[in-house]
Amino acid sequence: MAEYQNLFTQVQVRHTPDPGVPASGGDPRIPAAGFSYWLGKIGDAQLGPVYLGWAGVLALVTGGLSIFFMGMVMLASVSWDPVQFVRLLPWLSVEPPGPEWGLRIPPLNQGGWWIWCGFLLTVSIFAWWYRMYSRARKLGMGTHVAWSFAAAIWLFLVLGFIRPILMGSWSEAVPFGIFPHLDWTAAFSIRYGNLFYNPFHMLSIAFLYGSALLFAMHAATILAVAKMGGEREIDQITDRGTAAERSQLFWRWTMGFNATMESIHRWAWWFAALTVITGGIGIVLTGTAVDNWYLWGQKHGLVPDYPQVWGDPAVPVQPGELDGPMLAPPAQGFPGLDTSMHEVFVVPGTDVRVSFAEVTPSQEIVR
Amino acid sequence: MKTRGLSLMATGALLFAAGCELPPVDAVDLGFRGVGMQQVVNPGTLQDSMQAIAARAPSISGEPPANMVPAPEGTWENVQVLGHLSEAEFNRFMLNITIWVAQNTGQGCNYCHVVNDEGQVNFVADDIYTKVVSRDMIRMTQDINANWSSHVGDVGVNCWTCHQGEALPTNYWFFAEDGRRDIQRYFVNERDRQIERYNLDEAGVRVISQTALAGDSDNPVSTNDTRHAYWVMLQMSEALGVNCTYCHTSARFSDWEESPPARVTALRGVRMVRAMNESYMLPLQAEWPENRLGPLGDGPKLQCATCHIGAYKPQYSNPASYGAGHPAINRIGVPHGGSSDAMMTMGMEGTQGMP
Repeated sequence: MAEYQNLFTQVQVRHTPDPGVPASGGDPRIPAAGFSYWLGKIGDAQLGPVYLGWAGVLALVTGGLSIFFMGMVMLASVSWDPVQFVRLLPWLSVEPPGPEWGLRIPPLNQGGWWIWCGFLLTVSIFAWWYRMYSRARKLGMGTHVAWSFAAAIWLFLVLGFIRPILMGSWSEAVPFGIFPHLDWTAAFSIRYGNLFYNPFHMLSIAFLYGSALLFAMHAATILAVAKMGGEREIDQITDRGTAAERSQLFWRWTMGFNATMESIHRWAWWFAALTVITGGIGIVLTGTAVDNWYLWGQKHGLVPDYPQVWGDPAVPVQPGELDGPMLAPPAQGFPGLDTSMHEVFVVPGTDVRVSFAEVTPSQEIVR
Repeated sequence: MKTRGLSLMATGALLFAAGCELPPVDAVDLGFRGVGMQQVVNPGTLQDSMQAIAARAPSISGEPPANMVPAPEGTWENVQVLGHLSEAEFNRFMLNITIWVAQNTGQGCNYCHVVNDEGQVNFVADDIYTKVVSRDMIRMTQDINANWSSHVGDVGVNCWTCHQGEALPTNYWFFAEDGRRDIQRYFVNERDRQIERYNLDEAGVRVISQTALAGDSDNPVSTNDTRHAYWVMLQMSEALGVNCTYCHTSARFSDWEESPPARVTALRGVRMVRAMNESYMLPLQAEWPENRLGPLGDGPKLQCATCHIGAYKPQYSNPASYGAGHPAINRIGVPHGGSSDAMMTMGMEGTQGMP
């Protein structure tokens, strides 16, 4: 394909689709489908060829089933009402089993679906990983892409598999759902005393922001010399007086040091991978080793002493008032929903049965 | 082809922007600098709602009396909770409550007082449920103003605080409809259930361990339980139109010493809601007609949003929402012809809030 494309290219050339270089051994490819004008706006206009392979088929089938089951559970949870499904979709959820199940496998409608969806999704992700690895091998490439994907898989496994097993309960895992998984993230930080004081969370944030910074620096540099052909790296490395030399001189001029055309990609790879590797370590340690990161930070000098800006509270807290119970679901269920609880209390003069799980109003008032 | 793609992108961008508020949004620092103790407000929206409240605030009839002598015995029949009023003050209160609660029903006095066969209003009869419910609501308001100043302060509340001229307040709740399937119960109703419990019983939202290391901790609360607590807190946050940091110190939510004083007020408020539901709303169960009941057949109940309706102080402290200046409801009432001693022996001493 004797064609040169970059963002400045105004003309899109149409020709017989290019099947790509041959790879060693058998590698059946689904032939290229053709060209897309809009794909050409953001990259190569040619669509395909695609390699599927057994791993690709497995990944698509298990991944598709997992998404399908999630969708059906969510649809069932709104009584199969398609309008409500669309309206409430951001709030719908496939919840992991409750704490009472520990690491056992519960019935499908009490968290079993979560186990199934998670299992199928994990199979799909591993198959996809193997596909990336094997395609890189076939093309004689390094396997860097597969290993950076593996770093992300580490975090995925920590959240849904490794940490729940260490904690002894599936209920520690993340639900599937748009807002539910965001709520989980907020709740996780609250439950364990503010994750910002977790040093691995700090590292993960540093690498995340660092990745963004490096990506911006690198991308801006290459774009800035694109009009001199700066993105044609091999030419740039072997020839003198090129765009690459200019871009490197630019950074030496501005900050005294420049990454090489190779090392900038090692910087970027490690920053990206370490974001999820350190993040995963931070999450594994939460609840297993450390139960309150703020207090842990206080013990280790992380937390400054802020001045008290509030005077004495207007209405002081009474002794004993703050010794209420920890939050835990009542053994028998919730009022209004669990029929066994309805029998606790009949509203006087009616046959309406209402229940209050362990109501102690008088005790409350005494306090 | 090209234009279709572009118009699709434009439509998508518009759809995303549809949920946005008109800027500017302002952040007000309430704590030490740099620790994020901020309240996010949109001054435009805030001004609009305050103006709307001022526009619909009722004009109060007359002034409260400087000295009040209870009406002589035999003035009224079947007056059970307003016996401490003079006749003038009693009539003033009746006018006010008609505006506060029945204004938009179009029925005036007849919303609670039935018309008999001769076409005359029978003020004595309890023949309509609204009269019975009103009496208990007056009793409840007296209780709140007399015993829960730890939450409502010296100004207190009146009927308009929640009712806004409507027969039903804007916000109230029923037990959530039970899922017809187990799957619905498990996956959807969890949030409602936790909020129900919080408004009714001692269900804590205490989730944060007080020890640094897991080995020293006996905290059984899971992350997913914490989500339920999070929802409970969010419904408070929405009810009051405030951020977490209105009550909590940003770095450490559980710490009381560093918390803004508003958190203590809120704690008392939660206990007040539970006590009011327990002492007044639930016992009214037998009185409600069919059309006032929830899907499980239970009557309406209170929550933070019932009074607050999205404002950190109900009606943004518009004086029209104050209970002070209304002797009918700013103290515990007595039956007509009775005394406060008689009231105590009748077991109507109220729910006794925090000092």
